[in-house]
Parts: sequence; structure tokens; C-alpha cells
Amino acid sequence: MAENTIKATASDFLKKVKPEKPPKEIKRSRKEERERFKKRLSTLTPAEQKYLKRKRAFETLWPICRGLLVFGLCFVIIYPLIYMITAAFRPRSEMNDPTIIWISRTYTMDNIKDVIRVMDFWKTLGNTLFINIGCSIVQVITCAITGYGFGRFNFKGKNILFGVVILMILMPAQIILIPQYMFFRYFNPLGIWHAITGEYINLIDNALTMYMPALMANGLRAGLFIFLFRQSFRGLPKELEDAAYLDGCSPLGTFIKVMIPNAGSTFLTVFLLSVVWYWNDYYISTSFFTNNSTIALQLKNLNASLTRVLFNNGTVKVNARELIVWMESGCLLSITPILVMYIFLQKNFTEGIARSGLTGM
Amino acid sequence: MRLNLSYEKKKGLYGYGFIALWFIGSLMFFIIPVIKSFIYSFYDVKPDVGALVMSPLGLENYKKAFMVDPDFRKNLMEVLGATLWQTPIIIIFSLFVAIIINQKFRGRTFARAVFFLPVIIATGPVYAIITNNLDTSGTADADQFSTMFSADMVDQLLEFVGIYGFNDKLTEMLSTMTSDILNLVWKCGIQIIIFLSALQGIPTSAKEAAAIEGATSWEFFWKITLPYVSPMILVNLVYTIIDTFTDPTNVVMEQVLSVQDDWKYGYSAAMAWSYFAIVLVAVGIIFLVMNKIVYYDD
Repeated sequence: MAENTIKATASDFLKKVKPEKPPKEIKRSRKEERERFKKRLSTLTPAEQKYLKRKRAFETLWPICRGLLVFGLCFVIIYPLIYMITAAFRPRSEMNDPTIIWISRTYTMDNIKDVIRVMDFWKTLGNTLFINIGCSIVQVITCAITGYGFGRFNFKGKNILFGVVILMILMPAQIILIPQYMFFRYFNPLGIWHAITGEYINLIDNALTMYMPALMANGLRAGLFIFLFRQSFRGLPKELEDAAYLDGCSPLGTFIKVMIPNAGSTFLTVFLLSVVWYWNDYYISTSFFTNNSTIALQLKNLNASLTRVLFNNGTVKVNARELIVWMESGCLLSITPILVMYIFLQKNFTEGIARSGLTGM
Repeated sequence: MRLNLSYEKKKGLYGYGFIALWFIGSLMFFIIPVIKSFIYSFYDVKPDVGALVMSPLGLENYKKAFMVDPDFRKNLMEVLGATLWQTPIIIIFSLFVAIIINQKFRGRTFARAVFFLPVIIATGPVYAIITNNLDTSGTADADQFSTMFSADMVDQLLEFVGIYGFNDKLTEMLSTMTSDILNLVWKCGIQIIIFLSALQGIPTSAKEAAAIEGATSWEFFWKITLPYVSPMILVNLVYTIIDTFTDPTNVVMEQVLSVQDDWKYGYSAAMAWSYFAIVLVAVGIIFLVMNKIVYYDD
């Protein structure tokens, strides 16, 4: 008998503990939906009816419009890329065939091979990566340190110095290009090298022209990066810093152990933007490099070097439409590395920018 | 001896330590070059071994730029005009796109990735080649439309009625429209990102209040979104202006660079400086005007 009662209570207990099934969602047909909506409307005042009707119409129509818009705009952006791919693998002769717009009759790797030869692609790629990745890493670190100084400390003259940072963002690079060129062309370490040896050091065509500014938080668009870091460090709660101080952490230790882990997304964002801008830069590097040693420079001058290398003759005129296959192959080659990087990191990138505290002006 | 400083003062000293590296760098790579190029603009500067040979000219370089050189004034007006009508369009368009991709829908991650693609590509030489090729290749946007329309009944019908050349006009309109949209979309990457971050910063309490009061999307935009986003509109305005002004492909910049290539350093510095002064004044005016309109939450 006793066993039975125990069993009974146990089953009761189980029944009680078992979560009740969520109420089934009633599936209604569209017709029923509409009738319910009408019923609901009839209990409301005319103004409320009008509001509900409008809202309903908007809610059904908007997703369609939005879908069309997003699709159209995405298409506009991707269009040149699709064209790039189709043209890069198209035989040159087929560029003149008016019946071919997107899909060519045959595919060829010749254009790509030609361009790899003309651009000296692998060597250039190595060189670009060396400058690009190295400078970006260095720049991210130095800009973070500077941004932290501006965002978290109060000292005399801070506003004036930050004004210099803003000026760095605003000032076009063209203004300071010549003095910078002279600085590197006749480089004079510590200002005494010339007095001792009677000579200047020529740093043109040396990667140091890119590394030195980056090392001192003055690289490409460094002002913007310092600004970004300052905003993001300023947005972190003060309690973090105080807690670290009470635990006996020095400001440098606080920066490394507490602040950096909390600003990870900003670091990633700045690194990516920095890589992209170093990769794409041809304006600054034209003046510091004479021998087309980065991808962007090679691509900028591809037009001229194509005829020179392919036909051994700079004066050969190639039909502009036929030239496109090589130009597009060059573009494809040069954006592939950053495109791959972007595809892998894009989620962190877009979220990182959204969270990097840009809004805390 | 141990200095007896207050916590705040000690912190201040550490602040100097953090920015020291940047300060030395900016002296070497920014402040001194800026001052130097400003001095150049009053001289006739010629390169020589080891140094630049400078002979004073006074305001001659500036006078030449504004009074004598016909290209500089023309280019300047062109760039200013283009910036004037492009900037508002870029701002409105990127705000619109940011609002759309801030909503939840299927494929949002993909759409975001695509919209930020221009940030990756548009600053380099690739973009110039792409747009140039689309113009010369004959497979560009508008020409496809024209092949679609050329065999069209509509045109023949219109010709029958007595309207000629309708097709050409339509094609022309479509071609300018599509190429404008292409340029527009490709210029908005960073602006969209900035707006998106602003949109995500709108506090939930404001959204809930609006929902409880029964605000329509239209009202929500004007009364919630716009005020909260307005500081970023200012940022974007300044960014867009700076971006178009310092873009190496704009005509003034090209002229400055070509003059530099002719070894006329003083003249190019004068042009760059007067250009920069104009930009600075424009940005300053916008900043002062917008700062009064902008709504700050705190």
C-alpha cells in the first residue's frame, strides 16, 4: 500500500514540475486574420482606426520596398566587381565582340599571367605586405597609446595639443609633402650627422619612410585613428581605472591590463582601416618610392608598363577596349588580398565600428 | 628623493608620457613641415643638391594663383561647386541607407558587408580604373538599357505620333542617373558606418516611449532619430567635406601635384595653402552653424 502512495505522489510531483506546454499558436488563414482585424477595428474610434490601417499598410508594403532598394543598391556596388571578374578571364579578342556583354565564349588565364609578369606581382606583394602589415601594427599601437593619453588624462596644454591632432585630420597631405620629401632625401639623424660626416642619408625608396612616421603615431591618417582611440577610451567607465589604481596598478599597467582588453573592437577596426589605407595609398608613396614597389603604385602605372613589357615597346597603341582585360585583371589581383581579409573579418569590422564609441562626441 | 605629488598631478604627468612619442613625431613629420611649407609659399623655391635654394617673392605666388593663373580659379570653383551639391546628397543618402540596414531583415549581414565594401576599395587606384573602364567598355550600365530600348515598340510608337529622339534622351537620362548613383553609393561607406553607430546609440528608453505614445515611423524619424543622430550629422558633414577636398583625384589637387612635378615648390605651396584656408573657413562656418542646431543628449 505504502509503495502505491509513494508512486502516486511521485507521479503527481512529476506532473507539477513538468513545465506546461506553451499555448499553441493558433494558425489562422489570411481571411480569418482580416476578419479579426476588422472586428478589432469596429471597437475603436475613427482616429484609432485610421492609425491602425495606416500602420498595417506600411508594415506590409515597407519590407517589399526595402528589399527592392537594398537589392538594387547592393547590385550597384557589386556590379563593377562582377564586371571585373568576367573581364579578367576573357580573351582579349572577345572584347570587340558586341554580342558578348557578360559571359564570354572561352575563358583564359592569359591576362592574369601577363599582369603577374608585368607587375612583378609576387615580389611586389611581399614588399607591400611588409610595409602594409608592419606599419599598420606599429601605427595601431602608437595611436592607441596617444589616444589613451588624450582620452584619460588631464594635463596642461591638452586642448592645444589635441587641436594639433584635429589639424592633422584636416590638413591635406599635399601641403607637407615637399618638406617631408626633403626630410627623407637629406636625412640628418639627430641633426648632427651632417656636421660629423659631412653627408646626408638618402632614405628615398627605403621602407623607413613609411615606418618612421608610423612608429611615432604620424602615419597615414594617424590623426583620425588617434581621435577614434580617444573617443573609445573616453567611453570606458572610470570605475575600471579606479579599481586598478586601488589594486596598485600603475597607469601603464592599467592601460595594458585593463583598458586594451576592453577596447578590442576599436583595435580591430583601426587595424583594418589602417591596412586598407596603406594598401590603397599611392599618393604618398609616389613621392617616397621611385620604383613602383607597392601594389597600388604598380596598378597606378599599369597602363604604361603594360605596353612596355608585353610588346617591348612603349609606343604601341593598344585599343582601349582591349586594354580593359589587363586592367581589370590587375584590379582583381590587387584587391583579392584585402577582399579575402575583409570577408573573414567583416562581421567584427562592422560591429567594431558601430561599438567603437564614435558616438561619444 | 621622492616627489610628493597628488594623485591627479601624478596622473597628469603620466599623460605627458603617453603622448610624448606622438608629440616628437608630430614635430618632425607634421608641425615643422607645415611651417616650412608655409614659408615656401612666400619664396621662389628651387631644388639643389643638399638643400632648396630660396629667393623671397613676397605675396607674388598668391597673386599669381588668384590673378594670373586661369586654371586655378576655374578648378577651385569647380571643386567648391561640386562639394556644395554633393555633400547634402551624400549625407541624406547615407542616413537613409543606415536607417535601412539598421532594421532587422533577412540578409542584413550580407547587405552590411556589401555597403561597407566601398570603404575597402574606393580609396585606391582600383576605383579610378573601374569607373573609367565602365565608361569606355560599352558594357556600362546605360548602354545596356539603350540596347534594351532600341528595339522597343514604345519608341516606334512615339515616332509614329511625331516625337523623335525620345530614346536618345531617355538613354542619356538613364546613363547620367546610373553613373551618378554609382558614384554616390561608392562615396558613402564611412558615412554609413558613422550613422549606423549613431543609430545604435539611440537609448532604448526613447524608443519605448515613442512606441507607447504610438508614434508612426515618420514621427519617430523626425522626433527621435534625427535629434539623436544630429551630432553625427555634423561629424559626417565635416568628414565628407574634408574627404572631397583632400581627394587626390580632384582637379585642384591634381593641379597642385602637377606644379610640384615641375619643381615649382613655392607656387604649389601657395596654391595648397590658399586652398586649405578656404576649406578651413568653410568647415569653421559649418561647425559654428551646426553646433547651434545639433541636439546633445546630456
